[in-house]
Amino acid sequence: MSFFRKIRKSIYDSKNNESMIDSEAIFSLSSATITLETRQRLKPTGRCALIVKSTSGLYFKEMKDEIQRFLGISKPDLQFDYRTAVDSYGYLWLILAGRTIEDSLAAITAVVDTIQEKGFSSQILASIFEFRPVRELENSNEKNNNAGMRYLVYNYKSNKFYPFVPFFGERSRDTENEMTIMATLQKEIPFEKDMGMWYPLWDLPF
Amino acid sequence: MHLSASRRPSSWQRRDTGLTVRMLLSFGILTLLYIVFLSALLYVGLDFISITIIASVMILLQWYFSDKIVLWSSGAKIVTSDQYPRLHNVIERIIARNNLPKPKIAVINTRMPNAFATGKGKRSSVVAVTTGLLDLLDTEELEGVLAHELTHIQNRDVLVLTLASLFSTVAWYLMQFGFYSGGMGYGYGYGYGGRDRNNAGGLAIVVIVAMLTWVISFLVIRAISRYREFAADRGSAQMTGKPAKLANALMKISGNMHRMPTKDLRQAEGLNAFFIIPAASGSTIINLFSTHPPVEKRIEKLMEMEASMS
Repeated sequence: MSFFRKIRKSIYDSKNNESMIDSEAIFSLSSATITLETRQRLKPTGRCALIVKSTSGLYFKEMKDEIQRFLGISKPDLQFDYRTAVDSYGYLWLILAGRTIEDSLAAITAVVDTIQEKGFSSQILASIFEFRPVRELENSNEKNNNAGMRYLVYNYKSNKFYPFVPFFGERSRDTENEMTIMATLQKEIPFEKDMGMWYPLWDLPF
Repeated sequence: MHLSASRRPSSWQRRDTGLTVRMLLSFGILTLLYIVFLSALLYVGLDFISITIIASVMILLQWYFSDKIVLWSSGAKIVTSDQYPRLHNVIERIIARNNLPKPKIAVINTRMPNAFATGKGKRSSVVAVTTGLLDLLDTEELEGVLAHELTHIQNRDVLVLTLASLFSTVAWYLMQFGFYSGGMGYGYGYGYGGRDRNNAGGLAIVVIVAMLTWVISFLVIRAISRYREFAADRGSAQMTGKPAKLANALMKISGNMHRMPTKDLRQAEGLNAFFIIPAASGSTIINLFSTHPPVEKRIEKLMEMEASMS
């Protein structure tokens, strides 16, 4: 993309704040999980979350209720568990545990649509998807252990994915592993190539 | 043959510019000597073919003594395996596995992380690293960097670049010669009329052609140099089988590691960090003139190799 097109796009994006969510982009993750599994031996755990900045207004509460209602109805259809959490930054986490990544993606996209309809799309921050090395998945003893987890973060402001691999129990990250994930996926899904934009998400409330 | 010249030096690298200044100064003095010497020859009245031959000989002499010149100008000291056991061990491991002759190993006492290889042949070459590099990298990353330098030696990159610059230097003197004689021709032109004015026009063409040659060869040398860097990265990946380690080392050396955000996404969002117009990083003009490809590009290629290995 040329420099001027970049400027034009960023002006356009900032003007059309409400309509810039690209639901096509996030669905590309569905095929990318197969690549991750065959080439990096990483399997989705089905756990994922949508992170929304909450506001104290009445409309936001209404929207929250509607999302809860929607998830309650579609639960038997899509086969997932869900719960919500609020983190120390005041962000609402909608945590889903779907049976397959497609179920989780469908649920997240439906929730994002609802939020957009209510006019809160600028409040959507990111969604995050969890992966774990195949070897550890077979060892069911440590299923609830977060050690060795890799994450893909989808940033709704840039409509791009980026990797996040924290060292377990530390506030530092495994850059080498993150770069490997980028190399594996960058041709398949919209990927954030600027590593200066790979913002971490510490203390995941999973 | 420097491993990396950072485009965005971080503060702790900027503090130590001594090495760069010293090397630039000594090569600057050398270039000045060339120009003074060859201009003197021109003044004495030697024809330009013999000047070209002398220039070529001088460049070949520079190539022949390149290791000594580089070691002297960088302040690198040859070290034994007793002084730097880890460094020697890592190099010995690579050369044993890949059946290479062992180079001399030198260390430069500076905090700026860097490495280079020099020398005229495969057998009389030197690999130099800075103490900053040894402190910064873990053993596997160091292995990647040293394999990169050993590939430069294997590929005879010093010779290739010296020969390439021979061409541009010849063009440079052709240009000067043309200017000199061209000026004379113009001076005579007043007295002798049309015939010599034609001659001056011919010399102007020589000057223009030489100038073009010089510019093009200048760019070509840089292109060759960038290509050899990629080749050395590839060679390192083949020797060690761990391109990701070299990529990580490049991240550390170039200071790109510091570009990795530490601020949480939720904090950064509050600062509206996402609406900044993307910087025009790696513009084409800078790429054309630099001898090293941008670090991002090299890391990208290394990680592609890593991905294709798994």
